[in-house]
Amino acid sequence: MVNRNRRSSWWLYALLAVALVAVVAPFVWMVLGSVKGEGELRASPPTWWPQAASLDNYTQLFSRLDFGRYFTNSVVVAVAVTAGNLLFCSMLGYALAMLDFRAKRPLFLMVLTTLMIPGVVTFVPLFVLVANAGLIDTLPGLILPFLVSPFGVFLMRQFISGLPRDLLDAGRVDGAGELRIFVRIFLPLCGPALATLGILTFLGSWNSFLWPLVVAQTEKTYTLPVALALYSTGQNSTNYGLLLAGATVVVLPILLVFMVFQRRFIEGIATTGIK
Amino acid sequence: MRRLPLLATSVVVATSALTLAACGRDAPSTGGATAAGAAVASGKATGTITIWAMGAEGEKLPTLAKEFEAANPGAKVNITAIPWDAAHDKFTTAITAGTTPDAAMVGTTWMGEFAGLDALDPTPGNIDRGVFFPGAQKTTEVGGTSYGIPWYVETRVLYYRTDLAKKAGYTQAPKDWAGLKAMASAMQAKAGAKWGIGLQAGGTGSWQSVMPFAWSNGASITKDNAYAFDSPQMVEALKYYQSFFTDGVADKAAPAAPTTEPDFVSGKVPMFVSGPWEMSAVEKIGGPGFTDKYAVAPIPAKQTSSSFVGGSDFVVFKSSKQRDTAWKFVQFLSDPKTQASWYQQSTDLPSVQSAWKDPALASNAKLATFGTQLKTAIAPPSYPTWEQVAAQLDSEVEKVTKTGADPDSALKAVQQQASAIGTGQSS
Amino acid sequence: MTGTRTPALASAPAPAPDRELAGSTPPRQGRQRRREGRAAILLALPFCLLFLTFTLWPVVQSLFMSITDTRSRDLRHPFKVDVTGFANYARALSDPTFLSAARNTAYFVVVGVPLTLVLALAAAIALDRGITRLRSVFRLGFYMPVVTSIVAVAVVWRFLLQQDNGLINTVLGWVGISGPNWLGDPHWSMPALILMATWRNFGTAMIIFLAGLQAVPWSLHEAAAIDGAGAWQRFRHITVPMLRPTILFVSVTTGIGYLQFFEEPFVMTAGGPLNSTISMSMYTYQQFGFGNYGYAASLSYLIFVVIAVVTAIQFRLLREKD
Repeated sequence: MVNRNRRSSWWLYALLAVALVAVVAPFVWMVLGSVKGEGELRASPPTWWPQAASLDNYTQLFSRLDFGRYFTNSVVVAVAVTAGNLLFCSMLGYALAMLDFRAKRPLFLMVLTTLMIPGVVTFVPLFVLVANAGLIDTLPGLILPFLVSPFGVFLMRQFISGLPRDLLDAGRVDGAGELRIFVRIFLPLCGPALATLGILTFLGSWNSFLWPLVVAQTEKTYTLPVALALYSTGQNSTNYGLLLAGATVVVLPILLVFMVFQRRFIEGIATTGIK
Repeated sequence: MRRLPLLATSVVVATSALTLAACGRDAPSTGGATAAGAAVASGKATGTITIWAMGAEGEKLPTLAKEFEAANPGAKVNITAIPWDAAHDKFTTAITAGTTPDAAMVGTTWMGEFAGLDALDPTPGNIDRGVFFPGAQKTTEVGGTSYGIPWYVETRVLYYRTDLAKKAGYTQAPKDWAGLKAMASAMQAKAGAKWGIGLQAGGTGSWQSVMPFAWSNGASITKDNAYAFDSPQMVEALKYYQSFFTDGVADKAAPAAPTTEPDFVSGKVPMFVSGPWEMSAVEKIGGPGFTDKYAVAPIPAKQTSSSFVGGSDFVVFKSSKQRDTAWKFVQFLSDPKTQASWYQQSTDLPSVQSAWKDPALASNAKLATFGTQLKTAIAPPSYPTWEQVAAQLDSEVEKVTKTGADPDSALKAVQQQASAIGTGQSS
Repeated sequence: MTGTRTPALASAPAPAPDRELAGSTPPRQGRQRRREGRAAILLALPFCLLFLTFTLWPVVQSLFMSITDTRSRDLRHPFKVDVTGFANYARALSDPTFLSAARNTAYFVVVGVPLTLVLALAAAIALDRGITRLRSVFRLGFYMPVVTSIVAVAVVWRFLLQQDNGLINTVLGWVGISGPNWLGDPHWSMPALILMATWRNFGTAMIIFLAGLQAVPWSLHEAAAIDGAGAWQRFRHITVPMLRPTILFVSVTTGIGYLQFFEEPFVMTAGGPLNSTISMSMYTYQQFGFGNYGYAASLSYLIFVVIAVVTAIQFRLLREKD
């Protein structure tokens, strides 16, 4: 095997470990801060290890929030948006990468163009549109505008264009229909890209705050980030303990999704056999 | 088929041209705004109303609502709590799409904008406006018409460490500008403070620190229904404010996230100006017994003692289908007994003056100071463009405090911007 | 991946998608094209429908707003506004705050994008090839900053960046450097934000690079190593060419994201001190907040133009070479 020199591996591990500590430190501080009291959080100089750790912030969070409902809403919305993106973006990405048709160039240009449009541009007109469609305060109102994303199309298109074209030719020679080639031959090869897109889409949807805030009128449609902001930010002051506890709670499902997707991703590689 | 793009393009161009040609503003209507809304029908309230309230108030309001429902069987009040973060955007988008609730709690600085969007219902004539603090009542008035009521208030006073002041040779709070400066300097010299007083050196919301001094000097932000920032009183106040920084009494490099409470408790910065919520904040860090180590005092006077009054108003939206019930709820909130009871539950200061006679408020010496200050506190103008103009003021104040810019030219620049932006009032 | 099946072909650079199949006869070509066309319509349909409704229409509406003097109060009667042509755009180009914002944004992108990409690629290669154990631990760790909400992150970073007791200045102090007042000094506020943004975003780029690296067959590296190529040569001549589409993708999306950077200054510095960190997007958002919808819409289209130009440049530079 190449580059398996024991010595160089050693310092690489050390370097990565230092980098890891630097990168993870703020996150660790956040979790430690969530068990501190408000006084300790505002103390100067700031403390690292909690002086009097307590789960008060968490009990407050769960007792004041209708946690089950907000969590379910967040999950439903994020899963729907992710599923939609995985399906529709890979469909169009494949078409743009592998098929030949008249509208291809303009369509790709349109996708790229949309990618470049700042989100703030469409916010207010989109809201008026959704209101006129009667989708305010509904979960579909939170899902539909984000069911496809130009980012997802771009990602899948780039990835698929790196796959060998002769698979396409081989499939056609075998007499398979175009769609069958897509579903049976190419889609299974898109494991890593789909996993990546899945993680990124889920994350974006899970953390999204402004849109659910304005679309939800009553608390039954709130998602987790909206509900958490409710209890931690005030008119003149912020409840830091609650904020950090809330942030920790919001983060955990994503880390779970990431770990699950990443493992499938590794499995996918291992089974196709890189030797 | 080649002609399709050409055909399509010409259709698009033609449609756009027609659309643009059809645009244009209507001539401004000359009708005057009604001074008061139609009176609310008497009798018990009925029907269901929805209410939006932010933050902690949103959490605690349902308790009050139950009292209202008990007194008015047949009425149901649904309260939706919304976060302060981006609440403003939630309101503006709801107004645009016509999805507003019946009534809501609204920040005082948003009133001008929402009234300008023609979203609010004028206060009915049979609600007595004289019961409120004058400054607070002004926060509900836009273009001469009152919309809703002031629900709870807050104002800014001087916080100072009594024990450190004694060390510096002071047993009483400063009563005038010279006294304030002297005391802050003495704190640095004799009581070991790094900075005499904590003042915001520009940045978002710094106008709330500067204006109390300007108002105490008799300055006014508006004149003849337009902005007037470059008055001599305002310049004098800004010069005074700047002197704290140039003389090294206040920290011009204060961080974006202030460390007010820890610095106050440690004695590093033993004086600052802020609102009632700081009392519990400093006591939390200071621990038991700290409440005896500090006091609050009205803003030192130049001509009078004045301060900023904020808080929240409670409004009814024009599109409400349950107008009577909504206003009855508002009346209920302004009842002195309800106001006192609300203070007990939320520590929000009542906007109704007679509610302050309640023992819970009257017996607390520190609160009494807030009550006194509220009598002379002033609110910024309720113009729709206030937030934008205030941002200009913040930006110039930053230059004045951090780089020593000349206050006179700074205020002239603000005035120029303010005139360009305009008050935003229609007709 | 697929490398084991046809190694020779897989090592070729990614083919340009619209190259015709060599050697097809015309009649087969015509039928083939029709089949492809039909399949393409079906595959593209969901995207196009959703796109038309939820993106194109709002874009047209805001384009319209940008050439009028629309204010927030006008949204109920969107056509009762005065058409002002390009007045908003002209005003933007002479607005000193917007020009400051543009300079700040350029600074951020020019420094931030390469920094993020280099760190992400280095991490991805180290994890993919350099080490064998603990891969998932490092991967998870490096990805963590991406996952946390900006509001929580801001609280933490403000403590880290404190002049007196912040962690960063403490660490700098160990090597004898006296750290500045990061967020309070107009010269150091941007570097602080760039550092924070890089920390937040390199994880995303890293996992995309990891996905791309998986498609580079190990067998190629082995073959090249046997021929005597060193690590750096293998990197330059095998990894980079095969990663080209991925690098293009990451560069474009990071560039687009950074050109719109908003959350970091919004939460950390509110654009200060002295307008040293205000970004174009933040200024636009402020204008929307003030109700100046027409002006804000024109600002956002100016941002769009900048993004389009920068993206086009990147495509030129990083495009797949045939």
